[in-house]
Amino acid sequence: MSLVNYATREITCKIVYYGPGRSGKTTNLHYIHGQVPTDRKGQMVSLATQTDRTLFFDFLPIDLGTISGFSTRFQLYTVPGQVYYQTTRKLVLQGADGVVFVADSQSRQLQENIESFQDLHENLAEQGVDARSMPLVVQYNKIDLPEELRTPVPELEDAINFRGVPSFSADALHGPGVFETLRGISEQVLRKLSAGRNG
Amino acid sequence: MIRHSITIGWADAPLKRFVDDARLEHAILMHTSGQVLAQVGFQRSIDVQTACALSAAINASADHLGKMVDGHPFTGLHYGGKERQIYLGLLQTPGGPLLLLAVFDTESSLGIVQLYLKELQAHVAAAAPAAEDDSPALAENFESDLNRNLAQLFGRG
Repeated sequence: MSLVNYATREITCKIVYYGPGRSGKTTNLHYIHGQVPTDRKGQMVSLATQTDRTLFFDFLPIDLGTISGFSTRFQLYTVPGQVYYQTTRKLVLQGADGVVFVADSQSRQLQENIESFQDLHENLAEQGVDARSMPLVVQYNKIDLPEELRTPVPELEDAINFRGVPSFSADALHGPGVFETLRGISEQVLRKLSAGRNG
Repeated sequence: MIRHSITIGWADAPLKRFVDDARLEHAILMHTSGQVLAQVGFQRSIDVQTACALSAAINASADHLGKMVDGHPFTGLHYGGKERQIYLGLLQTPGGPLLLLAVFDTESSLGIVQLYLKELQAHVAAAAPAAEDDSPALAENFESDLNRNLAQLFGRG
């Protein structure tokens, strides 16, 4: 649920990076954190285990600047990917304005991707959110791996992206695709926010 | 009904009065999902967002933990540090529960905070607008602003 302050002309939106464990959700945020100037970002908070697996969430607030006269801020969250952190995934997903589903392109992770995508839809439904109305983009991460280790993107599209939402290939560790993914979800979230006035 | 957005600004005055009355250093009134409604005392808005995210997480965890072990959510969490204390409490309003983060030093006390919390709840309930979906109308070409700003953020501008 976006926040709009008409007095100060500010918009705040919540974006959640969702996906199976080790797919690269936190890596996306780390890359963004490394790119954005200090005066346009807050501290990146990672509630993680000692082995750097996300325990609760990662959080990164960024200031997108002025868009259509509104000072616009995005709050970027990740969820913990491991299956047994279901409760915390639901908590982080609450109030999301948009979701980036980060899929792992490795062939052996295909089933985990599918299960995580189903998990996302179940958790949205449980919160009374029609997944079809939720701004969503899919990122196929680790595209830099050798082809023999990866599921080809068209196959990933068939298996995961049956809704045909915008999708992006990415190498979040080194950056390619991270920016495009964030731009894709930003456009969808702001378009829906603006349309909500009339729709 | 799922609301697309909520309008904020109406909560500034009640929270400011609460901070003055209870002699707080900082306070944030937020949605339980961590979205800020009003704040007093923080210098940077992005620090406020971080404080909100962590407060919402603590509240959500305590809520679920309480239900697990006691059948009821734990609310009204207090932490006493060496120099500063924090209190996290829920306010029930017609529009749903709101979460308060209060930060105070020796100028105040937990008792004072809880005393004025009841007044804050009444003031917030009175000031809260009726539920409505009031999204901003962004310009049709908002994408150009978005693309330019994102490119600048990523050093591509």
